[in-house]
Amino acid sequence: MTRVLDEVVAMLVEVVGEDFLLDLEVGPDTTFNDDLALESIEFVALAEKLQLRYGPAIDFAAFIADMDLDQILAMSVGDLVAHIESRLSPAAV
Amino acid sequence: MPEVTARGVRFHVQTLEPCGPCPPDPPDPPTVVFVHGLVMDNLSSFYYTLAGPVAAAGARAVLYDLRGHGRSERTPRGYSDAEAVADLFAVLDALGHTRPVYLVANSFGGVVALNAALARPDRVAGMVLVEAHGPAERPGGWNENMLNTLGKSALALEYERLADQLLAIGWRQRGRQAAVADALVNGTSLLDEVAAVEPVRPADLAAVACPVLAVYGERSDVAGAGRLLLRSVPDCTLHVIPGLAHTVLREGTAELLEVMLPWLSHHAGTRVPVTAGAGGAL
Repeated sequence: MTRVLDEVVAMLVEVVGEDFLLDLEVGPDTTFNDDLALESIEFVALAEKLQLRYGPAIDFAAFIADMDLDQILAMSVGDLVAHIESRLSPAAV
Repeated sequence: MPEVTARGVRFHVQTLEPCGPCPPDPPDPPTVVFVHGLVMDNLSSFYYTLAGPVAAAGARAVLYDLRGHGRSERTPRGYSDAEAVADLFAVLDALGHTRPVYLVANSFGGVVALNAALARPDRVAGMVLVEAHGPAERPGGWNENMLNTLGKSALALEYERLADQLLAIGWRQRGRQAAVADALVNGTSLLDEVAAVEPVRPADLAAVACPVLAVYGERSDVAGAGRLLLRSVPDCTLHVIPGLAHTVLREGTAELLEVMLPWLSHHAGTRVPVTAGAGGAL
């Protein structure tokens, strides 16, 4: 697991609550909707944690601007991590 | 800042600071405040639709969950229009936004916005009313549709819009959303207080001092409220979206933005994105 993946999973645990995630192994292929059953308001909370942790460089608002809610929630944890890592590592941009 | 305490109640707040391409934003950008609808709604319905583009246009987008909704505190009472107006300005005070703001309201949020503009014309610079409840010729029955919808909303949203997702998701979202609706509808005085809300009559609408953009769906139950706004509010533009009913915010997002961003640009001095109207991804 990458550092970013570890951190995103930790944020998800905070947002969703440990009780629900106990039986679930969260990895890159875990989807927000089908697997995590993340509510839209919880994704807002996750977005805020991402902004606080990684700052404006990840430009989360722009990342989701072209997607509707269904598309956003259909993303996997890996999709999100890939976006963050691409923004954090200038070489990959 | 995710939460503020206003009037002794904890409110969940999200702020999207102005962003986007150069030129740099002015030091004091306009503030646009989003007011969502009742019971099954929360700030996320704006967060994923209008708030990002508004921030990208150069405004500060402020979203908050109404009392008892989303991640804001649920109190046993305090759900009347007057309480909601007081909550709105108290939240803005707590955030330090004392200059006039633009309100963007959906559904019951329109009742809050209209009453806010009438109560404090010095603090409301303009309003975008999306499928707003509130305007009616006379009291009695004006909010019947809304109350009926509320009564059915928990079921309708679960079984219609979320039906296919529910199959895949199982109990969690469904259980939690039903629990939130149940706690609000059955555990607070919300329904009684909303039932007692007076409509905003033509004489009051005529006193609305700020510019208003009203956007309604052609097939909406409340389309009449839009026509009444157009007739009664001195500076009102009405845009009707063909084919849509009450779900303009979610289903008509692209067209709503195409109308709203130029309107905001004209009145608030925000930018109009070059991509607007170019057949966006939505």
